[in-house]
Amino acid sequence: MDQRILIITADNLGLSKEQIDYQDIEILKFPIIVDGKEYRQSEEYDAAWLIEKYVKDGVIAQTSSIVKGELVEIVEANKNKYDLIIHVLMSSILSSATFAVAENVREMYEKTIPIINIDSRQLATGIGNVLMGVIDIIKEHENESDIVRLSREVVKNTFTYMVIPDLNYFARGGRIGKAKALMGSVLRIIPIVGLMGDDEDGLLVPLDKGRTYKQVNDKIIDLVEAKMAEKSVTKIKRLIMNEFGDNQDAVLDLKEKIKSLPCNDIMNGRPDLTAAVHCGPKAYFFSITV
Amino acid sequence: MRHTDNQVPEIKGIIENVYKYLHRRKEYINGLNVFPVPDGDTGLNMTLTIQGALANLPDNKGKTISNGEYLKDFAEQMLMNSRGCSGVILALYCRGLSEVIVNGDFSPANIHKALEHGYKKAYQGIDNPQEGTILTLMYEFKEKFGELMTEEKNSAVIIKRCIPHLKSVLDKTPDMLSVLKQAGVVDSGGAGFLIILEGLEREINLKQSASGEVPVSIILNTIKNIRKLILSSSSNIKNNHLGALHINGGIEKINNIKLRNIISDFQHYSGNILNQRKKKLLNEALLKDLKEMESSWNPHIKYRYCTEFVLKSDKISSQDQIKQLVGGYGDSMIVLNSNDIYKVHIHTNKPDGVFNDVSKYGELVFTKVDDMKKQHRNFISNDTIEYEWERSIFCIVSGLGFKKILEKLGADDVFCYGKKKPSVEQLVKAINHLKTKNIIAAPDDKDILMSLKYAASLGKSNVHIVESKSVISLISMLMAVSNDININNMSFTHKLNDIRYCRISRAIRETRAEDGTIVKKGDFFTMYDSKIICSEKNIKKVVVQSIEKLAQKENLVTLYKGIQAKRYNNLLPELRRVFQDKEFEEYYGGQYQYYYYITFE
Repeated sequence: MDQRILIITADNLGLSKEQIDYQDIEILKFPIIVDGKEYRQSEEYDAAWLIEKYVKDGVIAQTSSIVKGELVEIVEANKNKYDLIIHVLMSSILSSATFAVAENVREMYEKTIPIINIDSRQLATGIGNVLMGVIDIIKEHENESDIVRLSREVVKNTFTYMVIPDLNYFARGGRIGKAKALMGSVLRIIPIVGLMGDDEDGLLVPLDKGRTYKQVNDKIIDLVEAKMAEKSVTKIKRLIMNEFGDNQDAVLDLKEKIKSLPCNDIMNGRPDLTAAVHCGPKAYFFSITV
Repeated sequence: MRHTDNQVPEIKGIIENVYKYLHRRKEYINGLNVFPVPDGDTGLNMTLTIQGALANLPDNKGKTISNGEYLKDFAEQMLMNSRGCSGVILALYCRGLSEVIVNGDFSPANIHKALEHGYKKAYQGIDNPQEGTILTLMYEFKEKFGELMTEEKNSAVIIKRCIPHLKSVLDKTPDMLSVLKQAGVVDSGGAGFLIILEGLEREINLKQSASGEVPVSIILNTIKNIRKLILSSSSNIKNNHLGALHINGGIEKINNIKLRNIISDFQHYSGNILNQRKKKLLNEALLKDLKEMESSWNPHIKYRYCTEFVLKSDKISSQDQIKQLVGGYGDSMIVLNSNDIYKVHIHTNKPDGVFNDVSKYGELVFTKVDDMKKQHRNFISNDTIEYEWERSIFCIVSGLGFKKILEKLGADDVFCYGKKKPSVEQLVKAINHLKTKNIIAAPDDKDILMSLKYAASLGKSNVHIVESKSVISLISMLMAVSNDININNMSFTHKLNDIRYCRISRAIRETRAEDGTIVKKGDFFTMYDSKIICSEKNIKKVVVQSIEKLAQKENLVTLYKGIQAKRYNNLLPELRRVFQDKEFEEYYGGQYQYYYYITFE
């Protein structure tokens, strides 16, 4: 790889920097507002911290878009060190403001350094999956148009499955999409929602529901197997899972079931503050790229 | 023996008295229940079926209606107001009778023919006809009547002489159906049927009568008759009784504009006002209109369902492969494709078979089934509705609590019938009210299936009936509805039995469980898989015992409280204390029949 490429992403990708096998990477931090006060992810303020505050204090949390100045700062500091910058972003449908900031910065530096903004059309571990896919691509391709074309394929073939016991957290952030159909049940139900890379709308969709975690875990495995059959693949390239540590029995049951899926690379990601804001207590999720 | 006197008031009086006779005995019929639950409603359903028919008969004040027309109307109203399995069977039987007796012939030979036809109609209307039921009584009635008519020339006397034989047949029903023997009862439907005959025996006299009409088929017959009449000479028209009927009949109540115009033109044509030239022109126009209307009706549809689907598949390499795969199912096949997406249209009698076969090759993204016979009927009756929705899920339940639960789980409409099973008419109204082209309809009680099937045949939509047996099956089914894809391919309708459950009721009489245990009157007992598994005086104890017996690996136990269990508020703390490894939830179902439904998930 002769071309020097910098990757920019944000801390909502469900992976720690150490888990990413690429050195030239910069990770932006999303501002998180908890009860009117701004926080950034740190060792002290992590997903578990927010989940605890949700349960104990009933706080209201929300996310904000990335800060343009911080992105500019990164580009400014690296524009002469690299030939190309690739920015992997969360779904432009779920956060059009963040994507607009990235596009604005790309235009600002149009004559200085080429920047490719890749819309992952994902959130949480889905962004992590797309990022890892893009890294695989740039290890083998240098041509910009090849990178863009192949990245689009990764985006299309990345799918996120989320068990969200309380969809109100997503609804508060205005990102509930079609999954709203699973809200308001008289019976206590556990919804499975997802972001499907091949869905043109790019919205959060209802996938299934169950009354127990065991049921939803079985259903998730069925959903993944159905997706593999639909895509005619026999193996999952990569699976990244995340949880907040507050629903261990359910997560262990799912992890056990995931072992039945043929997969090249199963990763336990790092739960991030942004995911905790939207998913709420007892949620867990994973993304696959096929 | 053809009667021409108008005896409608007399016939009406007989029917009203038979109804009262049945009404007074309905509790006895209700008590003949296989299980001692207080849901025995065979007597009530039969009574309401006749009561509804009497109450809804058209007001014929100022009109002369023949005996046959009256009986035909009454039978039609019975069907529209039929409730429960027993109500529908009785209504189908009466419709069969009326179709023969409409000719006004009350001779033993014709009555025998009517009894045979009634039995045939009732038998054909049941999916799983069994010996030892009301059908056996209907069969024996026609057989005995046939045997006795060689000796007796009076129909009423023959009916009377059949009754002792039918009583002995009813007494033998427990030997024909083991569930009756176990419960120590005779068949409730059969008993109701016999009570009706006994009522008739009391009321019947020697004066009977005749004549008739029909709904959709009458349009076709009218077309045929008018053509025949205008092709004959004008003197024939006035002398012909049908011609006179068309000339003098009021047309303002005919909804079908095309038919109304034709009859109006015919009345004009038959009058003396037109000159020969105008008459000739009107004759030609009428014949043209008649031909056009008749050609819009195709009663010989070989393949009934216009079926369409979109299949996403990379296992299919060409349109020909699809044609080979499903071509054998019907005709009028059209296949279009773009890359791995195939859009297919076919006329078939087995849409489910088509979908099953192709789904093995990929994902069924979209399916659509149109009943072409129904479309033709809607067209000919000019009584179509504007569809607002392509597909809806329609549930029928007893409890208000369950109505709310199912609505929130994805049912588009839930009909709550409370204590009395819904009539065909109520179901038709609910189906039409949905304004949906394709309705997936599911009741919470198998006893509603027959009424629902008949209502579906009268409604304006394509109705796919899910043969669900309980409200828990409906919850199970709706738990599988999450997105448009599984609504379109209807995969969720196969998920009826995913939740194990039992029901708790209170014995209205003493009975013996399968294992020999005696369940005393007033005791609470648990039914699981159509068997009584435990009973106790105390409801708490019976709930605990049921959970002990039935809960396996499942960790969520849900109690759905019925209307009669409203006062039991302290069950959950006790259950949580006894079963510490289980999670408990309680919801209000509002069902009438059972104190509790308990599910294990």
